[in-house]
Formats: sequence, structure tokens, C-alpha cells
Amino acid sequence: MSCPKTQHVMLEYFSDDLAPLMREEMEKHLASCAECNQELESLLMTKSSLEAWQEQRVPHWDRGVELFSREHRTSKTGNASWDIWQWIPTAASFAMLCVLLLNVNFSTTEQGFSISFNSGANAQSDVTEMLASFEGAQQLEMNQAIERMEDRQDGNNLRMMQAMLEQNQQATAENLEQIYAYFEQQRILDLQDMRVGYQQLVDSDYETIRSLQQLASFVSFQDDVR
Amino acid sequence: MALINEDEALIAAALNGSAFAWEKLVKRYESRVYNQGLRLMGNPADAMDLCQEVFLGVYRNLHRFRGDAKFSSWLFRIAHNKSVDLNRRKRLMMVQAKPWSQEEDDGLDMYPAATGFEPDEKLDQSQANTQVMTMLAQLPMDQRLIVELKIYQSLTFEEIADMQDISTNTAKTRFYTALKKLKVVSEKDHVLP
Ligand SMILES: [Zn+2]
Repeated sequence: MSCPKTQHVMLEYFSDDLAPLMREEMEKHLASCAECNQELESLLMTKSSLEAWQEQRVPHWDRGVELFSREHRTSKTGNASWDIWQWIPTAASFAMLCVLLLNVNFSTTEQGFSISFNSGANAQSDVTEMLASFEGAQQLEMNQAIERMEDRQDGNNLRMMQAMLEQNQQATAENLEQIYAYFEQQRILDLQDMRVGYQQLVDSDYETIRSLQQLASFVSFQDDVR
Repeated sequence: MALINEDEALIAAALNGSAFAWEKLVKRYESRVYNQGLRLMGNPADAMDLCQEVFLGVYRNLHRFRGDAKFSSWLFRIAHNKSVDLNRRKRLMMVQAKPWSQEEDDGLDMYPAATGFEPDEKLDQSQANTQVMTMLAQLPMDQRLIVELKIYQSLTFEEIADMQDISTNTAKTRFYTALKKLKVVSEKDHVLP
């Protein structure tokens, strides 16, 4: 019942550059093999239902124009203010995270759970302290990475944090560290991606892109998992 | 003197601080990026996230762009990497958010939010698109990407292999596997009452 050539024939059929002789041979086989013929027909049907995609309109968004205008205004005043500005989204996310965590803990306290975070002024100074050490650590790194910096979208981060927090009602300091480490890791990955991607383009060296190797190993890792 | 192409003119103007040129440049490509996002991420919100991240990446690196590669190829390479990255982040987020449901690893290959579209989002989505998205949702990300690059971006297998650092044969096989899988899916769809 099954033709041993089917896969081979299909791969040939969808090739971009099949030698005329081989194409002739493939067509001959298709003409004589009902099974390959049927397989091809249903693959082509699948393909055409994918091709039925209709371009959808982009919802309204600001196209980064606000960011663009703001930066082109600040860039004239020199780099110093820009340096700090770049960290605002991340720092704000972090502060927001602290506040969220403290709030969660506060409400569970009212329900009778004993949690060690203090309310009021102490909580505030905790946040300030964490933020200060966070900014200190970042400042060091920033001096090296400033040119390649890509800031994260704080709206995105916030949404992710909220989703995590909803799942993790008992937020602890370890959770906070984990989440922070996760963001930091994502940010660094992004930086690497962009940097490598850029250098690769400049050199027109399409083979050695590190980020794509990472991508390939990630993809094959997904294969393994499956 | 050779004609300067419009992209390059817009890039030059944007680098000179013209917000108008920047917006025009974005307008030229946003639809393709957004639609790619819809197909790869499976829902409007994530597609918009992708769109924003791609253009932020383009913006951050615009001064490094040189005319020796085509701007559109450069942009779609960024879009490709960002799709992979965003997908990975969404998945990580799901795993972190629900550590107890790890056995359902089937679901991890699906779109993070493929299950429900908001009714008003569904309205301006054609039936054909809904079907395509449902089909693509069945594929793991690596296969979905090949389908995207081959069918919607009309790249050759060689270009795809180059972009993903895999062999041309792997790219071809992956495409065939994806079509075959979708074939089964669409056949199943027809069987359903
Ligand atoms: Zn056959």
C-alpha cells in the first residue's frame, strides 16, 4: 500500500531548484503512482488554505514616534540624561514589583498569615534600598553596554509580573530574586541577540551568527523534548 | 548617480531626527510584521507586542544599518529573532506561572493564548485567517517558523537554512513534516460535523 518514494518525491516537488532531468523523472513517477499523487494533492490543498490568509490591519499604535521625538530632543542635551532615562522603565518595573509584593504580603497578613514584611515607612525604605542597590549594579554594567542597550518594554514586564504574582500568592524574597534574575537574563539575551545580529549583518557573515546557533540549538532542544 | 531607494532615504532622514520619516518607515512595514506576529504568536495582543519589539529593535540599531544588506531583509531577520525570543518568553512565563502542570507538555507547543480570542477581535478577523491560525497552532514553533518563512515570506529553502543555521535538507524536511501534519489536521476538521 505505501510507496517507499513518497517522502523523497514530495521533498523534490517542493524544492526551489530541481534539475530539469530530476523534475522530469519526478513527474513521471507522480503520473504513475496513485499514492504519491494523492499525497501531493492533499499537501497542495493544505498549502492553498494557508495561502488564503488575508492581510489584517494593524491596530492603532504610536509607532514609537513619541519615543523618537523624546530621544531626539534629549540627545541634544548630551548623554548624561539619556543614560539615566534608559533605566527608567526597568527601574519602574522593579519598583512596581516591590510594591506589588509588599501589597500581596500585607493582605495575606490580614487574613491571618504571618509574613515578615513591615508596613508603612519600613516597606518604603525597603523599596528604596532595593532600588538603590539595583541601580548601583546596573550603572556599572551600563557603562559598557550603553551603546548596545535595548530597553525592555515596561508594560510587557508589568503584565508578566502580575501574571506570575497571581499564580504565586505567597510571594517571597526568593521569588522576587528569581523574577528579577529572569528579567535580567532576558535583557542580556536580547542584548546579545541584537549585538551579534548586527555584527553579523555588517560583516555579511551569515554563517557564524551566534544568536542563530542559539536559536538552532533551542529549536532542536524543542525537538528533543518532543 | 544611482537612485536612492525610499527606505534608505527614510532611514537617512530618521537618523537626522525626522520623526515623520521614522513614522513613514514604520508604516511601510508594520503590516507585514503584525501579520507575521498574528500567525506566529496566535493572538492580536502578542502580535502587537512583537510589532513593538521589532520596531524598537530596528530603532535602536538604525544607526548601525548599512546599505550593504537590504533593509527589509535586515528588518525581517530582527523580526524572526524577536518572534523566537517572544515565544520563548511566553512559554517560560507559562511554565513559571504553573509549575504544577508540567505534565501537559503537549500544550507548551501551542500558542500561549490560542484558546480564546476576544469577540471584538474576532470580528475583524476573516474566517480564512481564523482557520489558518487554528492550523498553525497545531505546529511546534520550529515548524511554524518554516511555514511562515516559506509560504508567507516566500524565502527559498537556502535562505531559510541560512537564517536558522540549519541545513537546506533539514529546512525542506521540516516544511514537509509541517504540511503533512497540517494535512492531517485539516482532514480532521472536515470529518468533524
Ligand atoms: Zn510513489
